[in-house]
Parts: sequence; structure tokens; C-alpha cells
Amino acid sequence: MVSLTVNGTSLDIQADAAKPLLWVLREELGLLGPKYGCGIAQCGACRVLIDGQSTPSCITPLGSVSGASVVTIEGLSDTEGTLSDVQQAWLDEQVPQCGFCQPGFIIAATALLAENPRPTDAEIDEAITNICRCGTYPRIRRAIHRAAAARDQA
Amino acid sequence: MPRLLSRRTFLFTGAAVAGTAMVAAVGGVGLLSTVDVDGLESFVDGERAVLNAFLTIHSDGRVVVSVPRTEMGQGIHTGLAMVVAEELDIPMDERLSVVFPTELHPAYSNWFNVLGVRPEEASGPVVWVGRRVLGLAGFISTGASASTMAMWHPMRVAGASARQMLIAAASARLGVPVSALTTDDGFVTHAASGRTLSYGQLAADAAVLSPPEDPALKPAAQWRIIGRSQPRVDLPAKVRGAPVFGMDVVLPDMLHAAIRHAPVFGAELAAINNEPDVRAQPGILDVAIVNRRQVAVVARSWWQAEQAAQLLDISWTSTDFDTFATAQMSRDLNAALTSDDPHDAVDDGDAEAAITTAADRVEATYEAPFVTHACMEPMNATVIIREDGAAEAWVPSQAPIAVRQGVYNGASWADVHPASVTCNITMNGGAFGRRSDQDVVAQAAFLAARHRGRPVKLIWSREEDIRGGLYRSHAAARLRAGLGPDGLPLAYDIRVTAQSAIEGIAGRNLPFNPGPDGDRFTVEGLDKPYYTVPSRRVRSQHVPSHVPIGLWRSNGYSFNTFFIESFIDECALAAGADPLAYRRALLRDHPRHLAVLDRVAEMADWGAPLTPGRGRGIAIEECHRSIVAQIAEVTIATDGEITVDRVLCAIDVGLVINPDAVVAQMEGGISFGVTSALMSAITFEDGAVVQSNFHDYPIQRLANAPEVEVSIIESDLPPGGAGEPGIVPVAAALGNAIHAATGRRIRRLPFATTQTIGLRRTRSVLVPEA
Repeated sequence: MVSLTVNGTSLDIQADAAKPLLWVLREELGLLGPKYGCGIAQCGACRVLIDGQSTPSCITPLGSVSGASVVTIEGLSDTEGTLSDVQQAWLDEQVPQCGFCQPGFIIAATALLAENPRPTDAEIDEAITNICRCGTYPRIRRAIHRAAAARDQA
Repeated sequence: MPRLLSRRTFLFTGAAVAGTAMVAAVGGVGLLSTVDVDGLESFVDGERAVLNAFLTIHSDGRVVVSVPRTEMGQGIHTGLAMVVAEELDIPMDERLSVVFPTELHPAYSNWFNVLGVRPEEASGPVVWVGRRVLGLAGFISTGASASTMAMWHPMRVAGASARQMLIAAASARLGVPVSALTTDDGFVTHAASGRTLSYGQLAADAAVLSPPEDPALKPAAQWRIIGRSQPRVDLPAKVRGAPVFGMDVVLPDMLHAAIRHAPVFGAELAAINNEPDVRAQPGILDVAIVNRRQVAVVARSWWQAEQAAQLLDISWTSTDFDTFATAQMSRDLNAALTSDDPHDAVDDGDAEAAITTAADRVEATYEAPFVTHACMEPMNATVIIREDGAAEAWVPSQAPIAVRQGVYNGASWADVHPASVTCNITMNGGAFGRRSDQDVVAQAAFLAARHRGRPVKLIWSREEDIRGGLYRSHAAARLRAGLGPDGLPLAYDIRVTAQSAIEGIAGRNLPFNPGPDGDRFTVEGLDKPYYTVPSRRVRSQHVPSHVPIGLWRSNGYSFNTFFIESFIDECALAAGADPLAYRRALLRDHPRHLAVLDRVAEMADWGAPLTPGRGRGIAIEECHRSIVAQIAEVTIATDGEITVDRVLCAIDVGLVINPDAVVAQMEGGISFGVTSALMSAITFEDGAVVQSNFHDYPIQRLANAPEVEVSIIESDLPPGGAGEPGIVPVAAALGNAIHAATGRRIRRLPFATTQTIGLRRTRSVLVPEA
């Protein structure tokens, strides 16, 4: 049994400690926002926040996150369902095309802005390593800047 | 292009006539006449009023638009809902939602893709027959950049028809003439009395009226939605991470499956050497041989299934292709460039004589590799076959007809014959042509037949996805031109070789096969009738291999436009001309094309000098009834590393429904095109695919994404396609830019070898000079 917090709820999970967190989230907890895209931490579609760090959950065994706080895309909006500022910026810039990779991008951008409230283009390039096959990159850059600017004004 | 067109019309007309004969034999021509191909019949079902096949209004005023086209990121659910909303006079607000209908209504069929005529332009017996036959067959598919082209008019009519019925219902209810009523914001208003009724209040009355014969369409001058960017209706769910994709389907009692395909296409299973060991793994319920060619593992969770599948020790039969390698395909394609009996696609004037007698001749051979789609959502399908024989499928698919056929086929491998199939088309996590086939659906259906009464969700691992075939063909071309005294071509003669896509697609999915010769996907893009060139010849040769070929975003254009637009640059340079000025001269008789070219040149400030190591390249293409021109600017470092600095794009896409969606398609198409031009190749060793995941099939990342600027040309023409044109000129524009920067003409894709550095960025270094 592994104890951890997921989107603010404390849970005791009965599952193989070797099972990747991604599949625990998707199959045991019904949190389907984190996606399987490659299974080898190349694409970032599975990214979640683990103690605030953007982490590829597809190669993170459940046993390694005992006691950690995990936040998935589902945990970014508040209890009333209001979007986080990053999600809102994604909507305002009309970023997603197919949308499959976007939860991972939104998680990565959330972690970046927590660490660096006004990232430059170069810092965004350095931090955001996910793959988008639809080619939404120009809008992702714009959305991160938009979310950063909105926080400045808040 | 008369020969090209006549060939294609013949092929599909033949099929349509055969189909008609079949239908007539069963139900008679009288049945064909009664088919509601326009989908305008209406009825009331409880509190909802179905005003036609595209539009349902609930009593509380909610409007549900049925869009029978797959949302795979292109924004089609929004675009076609906008068309309905415009005619219906409701805003794009929370009252409006979009569904992909499960019913296979004839009005949803994609006869446009087969017959090549917009509905509003359609006439004649072939079209009449074709749309009814294809409609009855449930021929629904999303592709060929055709959804807006094909559907915008029928959906306008559907919206206008419903509005007229709502007004008629209000007229009866209020006892006032129709002419005294107006509509706005989902209400019908009688201004004289100030009385107002909502669409929800009127819908049930309206649905029992006859649809108008020829509803008046709103004049363009009164449009408030069409042509103004609207937010995508599917994005609020997507930024929340809502479970909208096929992979996210969860059903009670569901089983999960992973699969292994043979490493060499065509090989069959010889033996599973460790089946008891695999069956003994935790959670494993079944190890199944699928159609003699794959092994599936069924488990309580996908992770368990995939873990066990990784342990499988399988022996496969040997095939004639066990020594096949990419170099062999390359040799075969190049050898076939001088084959004795190629298929003539275009033969206009005496190209050979003109080239032979020309003062200057230009000649070059080009090549492009196999490439795959690498959709972010790996291939998957969920199927249940219930005890009563009713089957249901949930699939991220571009083609319900392929889903239905896949369920029948896969179930038949287990000797199960479903009584019916309900197709639920989920959001697609990318598609790019890959999701038009039935492969993964049939496999899931077979497993569902073995586990009757329980849903089975089959997901291919990324490795199976990359190695799973249906690639764009490897292709080669030899281009020759004779230049006149002014340096412009008097003639060109082009030979192209590739493996036919049509033959493979038809063989896997259709009851008829037009065969490989004259496949339009092999030649599309090579002939440029809008360039004023007196004599033109294009010939193709099919080169078979064991590799299954499918649709791939922009198909033949993806290599042919690279070939011809690079070659035109070679002609320009041979003539000592500027590539832009040369193309302007070639386009002198085609102002629509010239306007697109001039727009992009202006955006790039074409004449402005660039620093050493930098280069600028241009290309233009007409495809999917749109015209697109791009200029790429690159920097080549001394070690050969290429950086794509920016790509400018001008497009005339005809009438634009949702401008921001067109811009997004250009941005995305450019990214897709840069990835394939610089990085993408599926290669073979010992008959098997070498690549397996994103580490060896790299995709451009954010750090490498060029700046992109898009300009849409105002156009009076009806809507053209936007899904594919964006990628089409990219490779040629890049190749021409590389030449401008370095003096090197690279005639083979990809231009570079690419590594992913620290998972952070891709590093693409130009291939060494031969």
C-alpha cells in the first residue's frame, strides 16, 4: 500500500509499487487527463506535478512517490471548476488543436511559472520539452507569456 | 489536366455504377429516389425536436448540431456549427453544442471525396446516383481537407430550413403572417406586438411541419458569425484534461489489451514460445493469436497487458522480404524511373521534342522516404459485442465506415457475426490520415468476440504505433525541362515512382480496387497547369513492396511539391533568374496565384539581404482548392546545423468560415512540414522497421519551433481546404532556402540527421555532401 495525496485528497493505494504513476492515475483513480504518449518520458503528455515539480508520470513508479503530493490537470482548476490562470491563457490563445498533449504542456507551464514568474522565450524553450504533433508551439509560447502577464497585473 | 480528371472520374464512376446496379437489384431504382440524402426530414422525440439530420432543438432552448466529421484538431466541429448558427440566428454561446452522430445518415456521406464536386455545384446522373449509393452505404469519412468544402452548404441549408420552420411555427402560434416575424439570438419576434417566442418553445411545433423546398440563405453581407474568428467549441473540455479521446473510454467491466505485430510486414505467427509464462503474469486473462498475424494479451489493466506483452517470445514465419532494406527500395524506385510502360497522367504538347531541341536543359532526380503519422494518441479502439449480437465501438477514427467494417471483419475471425454495429467516434488525438483504416478496430473486435459481453479496449504501445505501417510511400522522381531563350521552361517531363496508396487502401477497406496505375496520390502536385509552360508531361510508375501504404497528411503533394518546386528553383538558377521573379513570370496568366505569391514575398521582404550563412526559399502550390505560398528563412551553422528561423505563409483558401482556425492549420501544417523535411524517415533493415519511438523518430520541439506568420487572402470563391495545404510547400521552401544559404541542393529528404539533445531540443545537421 502506498500513501500519497492526489489533487488535495489523501489516498492509500493498493497497487503494484512498480506500476507507473501514470497508469495508477488512469486505471486506479480514473484521472484520465494525464496521457500515455510514449512510455519513455520523451513526449511529456503524461506530466503531472509531484511536490510542485513537473514530472513524467509514465516512468515514475508508484512506490517512488510515497508521501508525495501529486497534482494532475484535473487538480489545476479550483473546487468550483474555475480554470487556473494557465488553463485560461490556453483558452484565450486558443492553443490546442487535437488537445491530446496539452494537459502535459499545461502542467509543464504551471511548474515553470511557479518557479519563474516572467520567463523569457529562451527560458520557455529551456523548460518546456514536451512534444506536440499538431504544431501548437507558437501559441504555447504566447499563452505562457499571457498567463505571466496576467499574474503581474493581479 | 484532362487525362488525369477523366481517369479519376472513370474509376469512381465505374464503382458508382456497379454499386447502383447492386442497390437497384436489391431495392429497385424507386428506393434510390426516396432516400433522404439531404437529411431534411424532421420529427419530435420526447422533449427534443429533430429539425433535420444536422440540428436538434431541446425544449429548454439548447441547440445540438450534429457534425458528421471527425474533430482531430482542425476545428471542424466549430466551423460547421458556425455555419448552422449563422443561418439559424443564434450566437455561438453555451446554448449550442456539437455531437458526432452515431446514426449513419445518407446526408452525412462523403460522396464529395469520391465524386469531387461540391454539393451546391452537383448535378447530373453520376452525382445523383453516387450520392444516393454512397449515402446508403454510410460512406462517412473525414479527410482530403474536404469537410468544410463538402459540408458548409448542406449545413447552411439545414440551419436556414430549421429557421424557416421555426418562423412558420411562430406564425401559426401567434396568428400573424410570416413576413411580420424576425429572428435573433434564438428567438422569433413579432415586432408589432412585442411578442417573442424562444426556439425551444417553438421547436416541437416546427418539427411537425414540412421542411421548405428551397430555404432562403442569409446574404453574406448579413453574416455575423461566418468569417469572424470564434473560439473552438471543443477546447474548454480539452484544457481541463477531460476524457474525450478514444484512449479515455471507460466502460463497466472493461478488459484491456496490448498487442504485438510481426516485425516484418506479411509474416505470420509460427509459435508463441512462452505462452504459459505470459499467462501466469498478474492480471492476465487471455493470450490470443489475432488473424494469424498478431498476438494480443488481454488483462485487467493495460499496464499489466503491456508488461506481459513485453515478455512474449514469438517466432514468426519467414517471408520473401526478410532481407528488405531501405537501400533496396531506393534502388527499385530509381530503376523504375526508366520503366518501359509508365502510366501517363498528363500529356499536353510534345514535351520530348521541346526538351530535346531546347538550348538549355535542366535535369534532376529527387527522393523522399517512407514517413509515419506518429499521432500523439497511439492507435486504439474499444469494442463490445453483446450477447444479443449488437456490437458497439468507441474509436478515435476518421471513418465510421471503416469502424463498422472493422468490427464485422475482426469478429468474423472468431466466427462471430454481429447483428449491428453502433459507431461512437471520439475526439482524435491527431489523425493525419492514419485513422481511416480498420486495422486496430478489427483487432479489438476479434478480442471482444472472444470475450463476448465485455468491452475490450486495445491500445497499441508507441512502439507498435510507429512500426504499425500505413506509411506514406517512399518516392522518387526524375524531372527534365527545356528552357527557352528567355530562360523559362518550354516543356517539362516528369517521371515519378512510388507505391500506390489507393491500391493499398482499397485492398484493405473497399469491395472494389481500382488498382495501382494512375493513382492520383502518386502524381498530385507534379503538374502545375497554372505555370505557363507550353508542353507538359507527367508519368507515374507503381513500385510495390511489402510495406502497407496509407493516407498521410497531404499524400502525394508532400513529396511531389518538394520535387517540382525545388526543380523550378533549379530552372530559375540555371536561367540566372531570381526564384521569385521566375515564378512571377510563370504565373503571369493566373492572377489568383500571383496575388498569393506576391503577398508572401511582401511579408518576407524578399529582396532584403541576409547575413552570410542565412538563406531564404520560396514555394507555391495549389491543392485542395486552395493556393498556398511560403517563404522559409534558415540559418546554417558552420557545422551544418540548420535552424529554421521563420516561415511566412500566404493562403487563398476561398471563403473563410473561421479565420483563426485557418491560421492554426497553417501554423500546425508548417510545424508538421518542418519535422518531416528535416527529421522524418521510416527505414528498414532485415525487412523490419528500424524506428520505434520519439527518440529515433524525432518530432520538432518548442525550442526549435520557427516564428510563423500567416496571411489570409480575401477571396470570393467558395471554401477550399485548409487541413493539408499548410504542410505542402514547406519542404521545397526549406530546400530552396538551404541552397540559398549554402549553395547546396539537397534532393533527398530528410535534409538532416536529427538528435534530441537532453530531451530539450532537436539538433538537425544537414546530411553530408555525397
